[in-house]
Amino acid sequence: MIEDLAFIGQIAVKSSIAVLLATLGEIVAERSGILNLGVEGMMLAGALCAAAAGMATGNPLIAVAAGTLAGGLLALVHGFFAVTLRVNQVLSGLALTLLGMGLTSFLGRPLIGTAPGVRLRALPLPGLADIPVVGDIFFRQSVLAYLAYLLVPLCWILLFRTGTGLKIRAAGEDAAAVDAAGIDVFRIRYLCTFAGGLGAGLAGAYLSLSYTPGWKESMTGGQGWVAIAMVIFATWNPLRAVVGAFLFGGLTALQFYFQAVGVEIVPAYILKMLPYLLTIVVMVLVNIGPGRRFGGPAALGIPFNREG
Amino acid sequence: MTISPPPALALQDISKRFGEVHANRGVNWTLRAGRIYALLGENGAGKSTLMSILAGRYQPDQGDILRQGRPVRFLSPAQALAAGIGMVYQRFMLVAPLTVAENILLRRGPIHLRGTREIRRIRELAERYGLAVNPRATVGTLSMGERQRVEILKLLYRRAKILIFDEPTAVLTHAEIENLFTVFRQLKNEGKTVVFITHKLEEVMAVADEIAVMRRGRMVSQLAAADVRSRHDLARLMVGREVILSVDKPPVAVGESVLQVRGLTGPGESPRPTFRDIAFDVRQGEILAITGVAGNGQEDLAAALAGLVRLTGGTLRFQERTFTAAQWRRRPSDRIAYIPEDRHRTGSVDAFSLVENFMLTRLDVFGTSLLVDRRRAAQATAEAVARFGIQGGGLRSQAGHLSGGNLQKLILARELSRRPALLIAEQPTQGLDIRATEDIWQALLRQRATAAVLLITGDLKEALSLADRIAVMFRGRILDIVSARDDGDIDRIKLLMAGLEDR
Amino acid sequence: MAWRIEKRSASFARSPAWVFPVSLAMAVAVGAGIFAALGVNPLTAYGVMLKGAAGSFFHVSEVVVRAIPLMLTGLAVALAATMLLWNIGCEGQLVWGGILAAGTGLYLAPHLPPFLVLPAVVAAGAVGGALWGLIPGLLKAYLAVNEILSSLLLNYIAIIVMEHLYFGPWRNPEGYGFPGTAQIAEAARIPHYFGTRIHLGLVLALVLAMVLYGALRLTRWGYRVRAIGLNPRAARYAGFGIRSQIVGVMLLSGALAGLAGMAEVSGIHYRLQQGLAVGYGYDGIIVAWLARLNPLAVPFVALLLGFLIVGGEQLQSVLHLPASISVVLEAVLLFGLLLSESLARYRLVRRETGRAVPAAGEEGA
Repeated sequence: MIEDLAFIGQIAVKSSIAVLLATLGEIVAERSGILNLGVEGMMLAGALCAAAAGMATGNPLIAVAAGTLAGGLLALVHGFFAVTLRVNQVLSGLALTLLGMGLTSFLGRPLIGTAPGVRLRALPLPGLADIPVVGDIFFRQSVLAYLAYLLVPLCWILLFRTGTGLKIRAAGEDAAAVDAAGIDVFRIRYLCTFAGGLGAGLAGAYLSLSYTPGWKESMTGGQGWVAIAMVIFATWNPLRAVVGAFLFGGLTALQFYFQAVGVEIVPAYILKMLPYLLTIVVMVLVNIGPGRRFGGPAALGIPFNREG
Repeated sequence: MTISPPPALALQDISKRFGEVHANRGVNWTLRAGRIYALLGENGAGKSTLMSILAGRYQPDQGDILRQGRPVRFLSPAQALAAGIGMVYQRFMLVAPLTVAENILLRRGPIHLRGTREIRRIRELAERYGLAVNPRATVGTLSMGERQRVEILKLLYRRAKILIFDEPTAVLTHAEIENLFTVFRQLKNEGKTVVFITHKLEEVMAVADEIAVMRRGRMVSQLAAADVRSRHDLARLMVGREVILSVDKPPVAVGESVLQVRGLTGPGESPRPTFRDIAFDVRQGEILAITGVAGNGQEDLAAALAGLVRLTGGTLRFQERTFTAAQWRRRPSDRIAYIPEDRHRTGSVDAFSLVENFMLTRLDVFGTSLLVDRRRAAQATAEAVARFGIQGGGLRSQAGHLSGGNLQKLILARELSRRPALLIAEQPTQGLDIRATEDIWQALLRQRATAAVLLITGDLKEALSLADRIAVMFRGRILDIVSARDDGDIDRIKLLMAGLEDR
Repeated sequence: MAWRIEKRSASFARSPAWVFPVSLAMAVAVGAGIFAALGVNPLTAYGVMLKGAAGSFFHVSEVVVRAIPLMLTGLAVALAATMLLWNIGCEGQLVWGGILAAGTGLYLAPHLPPFLVLPAVVAAGAVGGALWGLIPGLLKAYLAVNEILSSLLLNYIAIIVMEHLYFGPWRNPEGYGFPGTAQIAEAARIPHYFGTRIHLGLVLALVLAMVLYGALRLTRWGYRVRAIGLNPRAARYAGFGIRSQIVGVMLLSGALAGLAGMAEVSGIHYRLQQGLAVGYGYDGIIVAWLARLNPLAVPFVALLLGFLIVGGEQLQSVLHLPASISVVLEAVLLFGLLLSESLARYRLVRRETGRAVPAAGEEGA
């Protein structure tokens, strides 16, 4: 029984890392006032580029960097449209998702079915991994999972304990006031959009290097969208993003568990829906929960234009 | 021969265009240190644009700015501030969820604010200028007056030498206005330059050293305050014609009570409902003004009576029928007309034509159960346009192109055409020039013949000019209802607006 | 020198007519760049697309066949967007339309009088989509749940349900393991025209485009939809019941998308199978916005996208380029639209980057 729990927990954590990384990135972007619905596309780009770079070089570092950067570069496209051209951010984000889906499907065709060049296997952390149950669950994961653990508090410190974070949050609340204080709103928003893309790219890299190594078309399976929903659940707070991501991972793990055990208590297709259903339920709960503390950055999705 | 120092700031031949609109044309103006300047003009005269150019928010299409005799060019507010020029906008540039200190120190990126030197400097500045505000308070919880003090502190903290204020008194109580003027004088004594935009001639007379008047983008007059003999002179300069500063209020027979409310209470946001225990009567043939400084609950009260905000308690008697708070949802809404405060965002649809806007609250009239009747709506709109002298485009042009005054007339015409028994008018002339204000006032007075009028206004002059009785609201409650006919009550109203009950 | 963006016109102004051709030109240019980067002569590539999509009557008819579901999902997105609602869930609504239409054709048709079968199939498609659109509508109206995310996540659920059906309980017992249901009854198939695969769905889509156009402009309901879309505050002020309006519009929007699924099942596949959810729901977003939410423009834009899709497939079979190039081109088309809309609204202004000269000394006084 304990083994089962550790097994489920380990897979739950494993299945939650991509959503967690993408959620963290999107939180940073949205805190600065930029809504980027292109997460799914950026994740796909990250996954493909990481897989391709891995096959080309065999170097895990280069593979991770390539995937991360691919997400960031795609985010800059959104940055240009949302910040400089001040277009509707929903449409621009959707176009970005489409671009990511199209480009990866188009360019990734030759990679389908080829052996992955880099596999980031579980790396038990000495000492910590031997803690019963907890060690199995959290400390027998890929190195990118440990990076995600680190990024959670780092993002929180960045947003809530540094001057840069103050400027980011201010830009997301009232761009005109930030501008009047002599701070470059455009720069902040570009950087945060880029950071959001890096998070999504890294999430994609995790999928294609560690979670299910190798490239498959549409391998994100909607996790980018789940991440965007989890931002709302997390009330734009990196620490709470962990909860949402683990919930998602937990349901995914249950599915694997029942498959592995071979019992069908709940039909498989119902289990398959659960993560998506849960995400919707979570969005409902946020809205009917006691006292909506924080409804999101006030200037989210609103372009800044000094003259007008 | 004495060599006078170069002026603190000189504007030479400044022009600025927005699309087809010439906001500023060839403006020349000189500002000296240690003086207080009042900038006057009707809406759309180009005052705010000119000040925004000074503060680096806009760039002029043409012309030069000289700071102490040397040409400067500001590409951003930051650069203007670096040159000692700062502005307090009408819409405060503060980030509501952050604290006062965080707002002031935003650019420096403070990490830990507790007990630092910066906080001490903010406190010192606040004390020196009489700008009492707690540096650790969250801006969102502050009153408008306190927020303004934060804005001033922000500029002083950044060592601004020239401070520009866009209609600074619009959101203040009378006591706060007096305070602000004291701050102005203090700044002046320290050799700083103060510029403020205003519509209120009394304020000009009270505090300004120099007066400049703009009309249609041009600087039409500059004079010393000492040379002004009367408010009429100033008004004439602003409008370019003789204006009436008081309205005739022909007596109208007062009829039956139209609306009677008792114990009315609004939705309960913390720490208290936005309004509570509201009781008043308003009868046909009279105007009841509800006045108060912005943010004291009168906005929600108006919206609640119009059915846009939920009532949580109390009873209402409208004409012959009695309603509980919950039943007010089923009020006879066709007999209640409401002119909302925000004419662009609430009262109209920018992208709709005049005709379509005229249908907005009258969809039931201009159409069958299924289709809309555009022809009848167009006819009615044309009549309204002619009767109210609405200018600025044909019936098919977009309402967003209308000026504030013309749009307000369109909304008023629409609401009056519903022949309401009760007319709720909220800040009906806010931001309008003298001419449009007169027209709106006359229309409201005429409406007394057929309706009871509830006038929600923060402008005491408007309340006194139009109303028969004035209810003063403070922190969600009506402190008292006084007769508008008795001149002796004016001072008392001012005290009540500041929350000073004399009982 | 530096560039800066300056407002050209008010935000409520309509965008000029050149926006669409310019965005199209941009998409063509970017597409050419991609082909060139892949070592394919852009002229050859576009030649293949043109020939493959417009080279013969049959090819043109295939473009129309692809355009039919795009017209319906385009109308669905346009209707919702007119009221500021983002229906990103057309894919799922289309799937549910297909599921109910197939179910009706498979299991209900034998028990119905023949003349009722086709109307029942069409109605089932609309109902299926409407119910799936109702969910995000209700969530938005009564619980303020973001409809972009809820409608999108429901797509995944709809597809899982569909797969479960044709892999499981509805699988064709004589299908030799092929994932899909049995064929629907003859009577449940919508008629075809001109000896091509063009079917009744085209008539339906064109009629609905005109009906929707008229309804938005001439009816009180349409007036409310437009008013809410342009200024929800003013609509609330005018006393329009926004909640019920949201629910109604999402219901209708879902029904339109559901009809697309019905038309695919009853006009093309004759069964529920893989290949029903191929992205028409997402393409509808592009169709709607390229048509600037004008229902009458939707069919034309849908034809353009149909052309892209068929052309992309030709590229795959002739030049062995993946057909998903059409998705890339769609995305570029949307970005092109956004870019030209932005240029219509703002203009780039060249300005001197003079350094500000801060006042050096303290003022005398």
